[in-house]
Amino acid sequence: MFFSINEYQREIIVVANDSNTKSQRIKPKEKFNFFHDERVRGIFYQLLTVVIIGCFFWYLISNTAHNLELRGMNSGFGFLNVAAGFDPGFKLISYTPGIGTYGRIFLIGILNTLYVSFLAIIACTVLGFFIGILRLSNNWLISKVALTFIEIFRNTPLLIQLIFWYVGVFSILPQIKNSLDLSAGAEVVLLNNRGLYTAWPVPGEQFWITGVAFMAALICVYLLKKWANKHQDKTGKRVAVLLPSLAILLILPGLVFLLTGSPLSWDIPKIEGFNFVGGASLPPAFIALLVALVVYGAAHMAEIVRAGIQSINKGQNDAALAIGLRQNKALRLIIIPQAMPAIIPPMISLWLSTVKNSSLAVAIGYSDIVSLFMQTSLNQAGYAIEIVAMTMGFYMFVSLIISGLLNIYNKKVQLVER
Amino acid sequence: MAFVKKEITHARPAPLSERSVIGWMHKHLFSSFYNSILTIVTLYIIYITTKGLWVWGIADAVWIAESRRECFDISIDGACWAGVIAWMDNIFYGRYPKDELWRVNVGILLLIVWMLPLWLPRVKGKIFIAITLISFYPFLANYIFLGGESSFFSQFMVSAAIVSFVVIMLNAIIGVIQGQSISTFIATRLGSSLKSEKSQRNLNLALLIITFIIAFLWQQSWVLGEVPWTKWGGLFLTLVISGIGIATALPGGIILALGRRSKLPVIKVLSTTFIEVFRSVPLITVLFMATTMFPLFLPEGFVLNKLAQVIIAVCLFNAAYMAETVRGGLQTIPKGQYEGAHTIGLGYWGTMGLIVMPQALKNMIPNIVGNFISILKGTTLVSIIGLFDILGMLSSVSRDLSWIGLHKEPLLFGAMIFFILCALMSKYSRHLEAKLSTNRKT
Repeated sequence: MFFSINEYQREIIVVANDSNTKSQRIKPKEKFNFFHDERVRGIFYQLLTVVIIGCFFWYLISNTAHNLELRGMNSGFGFLNVAAGFDPGFKLISYTPGIGTYGRIFLIGILNTLYVSFLAIIACTVLGFFIGILRLSNNWLISKVALTFIEIFRNTPLLIQLIFWYVGVFSILPQIKNSLDLSAGAEVVLLNNRGLYTAWPVPGEQFWITGVAFMAALICVYLLKKWANKHQDKTGKRVAVLLPSLAILLILPGLVFLLTGSPLSWDIPKIEGFNFVGGASLPPAFIALLVALVVYGAAHMAEIVRAGIQSINKGQNDAALAIGLRQNKALRLIIIPQAMPAIIPPMISLWLSTVKNSSLAVAIGYSDIVSLFMQTSLNQAGYAIEIVAMTMGFYMFVSLIISGLLNIYNKKVQLVER
Repeated sequence: MAFVKKEITHARPAPLSERSVIGWMHKHLFSSFYNSILTIVTLYIIYITTKGLWVWGIADAVWIAESRRECFDISIDGACWAGVIAWMDNIFYGRYPKDELWRVNVGILLLIVWMLPLWLPRVKGKIFIAITLISFYPFLANYIFLGGESSFFSQFMVSAAIVSFVVIMLNAIIGVIQGQSISTFIATRLGSSLKSEKSQRNLNLALLIITFIIAFLWQQSWVLGEVPWTKWGGLFLTLVISGIGIATALPGGIILALGRRSKLPVIKVLSTTFIEVFRSVPLITVLFMATTMFPLFLPEGFVLNKLAQVIIAVCLFNAAYMAETVRGGLQTIPKGQYEGAHTIGLGYWGTMGLIVMPQALKNMIPNIVGNFISILKGTTLVSIIGLFDILGMLSSVSRDLSWIGLHKEPLLFGAMIFFILCALMSKYSRHLEAKLSTNRKT
């Protein structure tokens, strides 16, 4: 574009010169210089890049092929159907060593990673929100305590925290015989160095009726909320919804539960030999990983919430107080809804990094996808390229989904903003 | 009718309830009933925690002991810092030979002294300092830390590093005393004998070459014993890996970010793919990939050591993260800046290098330093794949026969070191941000 403007200007100068001094003529320079044209250069640079990158990859691939041949290593995804000889430890789906395949190990790893990340994401979001609001409390002491928490956990590496939780806290818990009882003497939630053991509900035959009743209660609450909003729009009066909703949610399923004869029993953990039998259990590595991810994530979440709330003009809070809202209502009805667009994008990135951080499980032996697949399976079966590609592919898939969520949200917010 | 007061009434001081300690406490700690309860409960919790930590970590702690058993004999519930103290050298330097530790110290000291003039306002030629630091210091450091037989190229670079170090030191001294750069200082000293700029440049060049020859001959007169990288460890190794990561992340990130915003579709697609692939996977998978797949990528017979594999992986990974930060900075620059740069006749690199990038990077200082902090923290992951960085050393304490099972104290000590390093970095970033800020204060 600039090229053409210059040409144009030069012609004007030439014309001007023509009219003034006829004897002198300035020859316009050639209009198109092949090597100085932007497009030609662009294509040249791109071709050059493609050739260099292509050569580089060809070099890598030929080396790899040669090395694989040299070491007699196989390739291909056939190994996924081969039985794996090791026990993955913690698992959500059944698995028998020696019969289950590497494909199933991959699945177990994915489920374990998603399980711990899902719980950690929910807990760290809630806890982080709470701490972020405490950080902005007008109580000086509370605010400083929250600040200390945030700074300590943000400025030390997650891996050190994780190992500290694992070897410093959850591994030095008492032996099974002297388990800590978290349920105050009822012996249904027990913590010891083998993990956390809880009683687990076993639904009876007619339990599904209670489930249906619960769904019905949910629908009732939804309708009630809708009616209350309509009522407020019409008359300007707010109807209390929270307490009646809770009552419906508790009483309706509760009554049905009792009428159908309490079809629910508890499977309580009991010591048998050297270990607990029955109930549900979580290994110490899982609890340590969960706690570490939650605490680390909450510290980051708190910073996100603080930054989001502080990005809202102070006048909004003053105005909310001026029209008679209490501080907590001003926060809930005025500040936080406006801060949400500034909070949600970094929050979703935090969720993604929580999923990625869960891969540190490999350091403490929780069987997530990296430790099961990228470490144990890779050491036992070989197939380095396939295993690395599959593991990375899984993380890329998760990140694709989470950034998809982010894009949907961003579009929605933009529409509202106009 | 003297109702009008002649002199101005001075403002009365604020009421006592506003400015005294009690007023402050009333406002910030006991403003309401619930707040008061909250304050008291929190105070109690703080008291319990602090007291517990004090008793465990300091009052009942054991500082001098030979083994963990002895620690237990002296105090059963106290911390056993003696183990950490016994392992202090290992935590900082890994298994670097005891007699050669001075080399690590000298290398790090050189780096600090080299960078020092950057903070002195009177010193001229700071770009020269930064460029020599990035291009020559790594070779010098490599030679000091690794030692052993070195190739001609390495000797050449080491001599160049020595020369630039000497020049920078002289420049800094002259700068602090006279406020001039070294070349103007020489020119003014020699006075009228150097009239043209050309002869002055020739003289400077001649001086440089002479110093270079002297340095080259001098460095040949001594040889450092070889310390293989397998002996490197502790905080030293962490700093080496994260230092290289930090030094390459910013240039790499700038190139990738420019590539991602390029108008050329091929370059754009390639940069975007690189950035997105590395950003969507955890660092540990990249490290595993490096250790399992790099040996396959390389030609037969060419072996890359594990440290080099890890460093390459860390550099690639962090460049992708830095690229997104830089891109965020580029997005804050309004279009008018580009148009203004075009108007005064700057081309693409002129626009980017002189107008856009300085502003973009300045806007992003907190995020860039935040990235540096995560690089430093992320380096601890190399302990998972078997390098003895600081975390590897901290966990080794509990495997030492005399300190078996000593987990908590070393980890807390390591966490403290990281906390101090990270806090210093973020503090400096806030200082830099305030210093470079061009917003007019109202």
